[in-house]
Amino acid sequence: MAAGPTVKQILQTYPGKIRLVIKNYPYKYRDFARIAAEASLAARDQGKYWEMHDILLTRSPKLDRASLIAYADELGLDLKKFTASIDNGGHANEIDRDVNLAQSMDLYNTPTFYINGRQVIGERPFDSFKKIIDEELHQTGR
Amino acid sequence: MMKKLLLCIFALLLFGTAHAGDQKTDVPIGDSPSMGPTDAPVTIIEFVDFQ
Repeated sequence: MAAGPTVKQILQTYPGKIRLVIKNYPYKYRDFARIAAEASLAARDQGKYWEMHDILLTRSPKLDRASLIAYADELGLDLKKFTASIDNGGHANEIDRDVNLAQSMDLYNTPTFYINGRQVIGERPFDSFKKIIDEELHQTGR
Repeated sequence: MMKKLLLCIFALLLFGTAHAGDQKTDVPIGDSPSMGPTDAPVTIIEFVDFQ
């Protein structure tokens, strides 16, 4: 799971003040978690990461291979390249690196957020993010 | 003397708990997908599972 609408609201509320970074932490016992992560990075290769990210969040859990290829088609991606990438695990190393990082941090939940390093586990209402962000902005004087 | 010592211990305890509640983790960003200015005052790192 990921917190699409809440993150969107955060970005809209604080224009220019937030940098959002995504790490992939596909749960190994969910069938399509890993291939969906591959799809997001395959789309990134073609300059459409965030577009694919949004689609994956809104259409989840419909993330089987055929659906992913259909989403790539919607975004006008080069389907031959895209399909080869998700079939061959074109970004396996990047995903493994993120998974290893998460495990080394003793992380077992998604979504998990680090807001200037402050850990927030699980989906939370917008206001609980706002409180932390406001504190951080206050501290940095911006 | 005793009073000063107690005050010191109190201050240390206060300092200690304030830190415990405000623990920060340094998460390496690397070349992960990101949006927003690199010098933004707030960086949010999200671990996602799309499914």
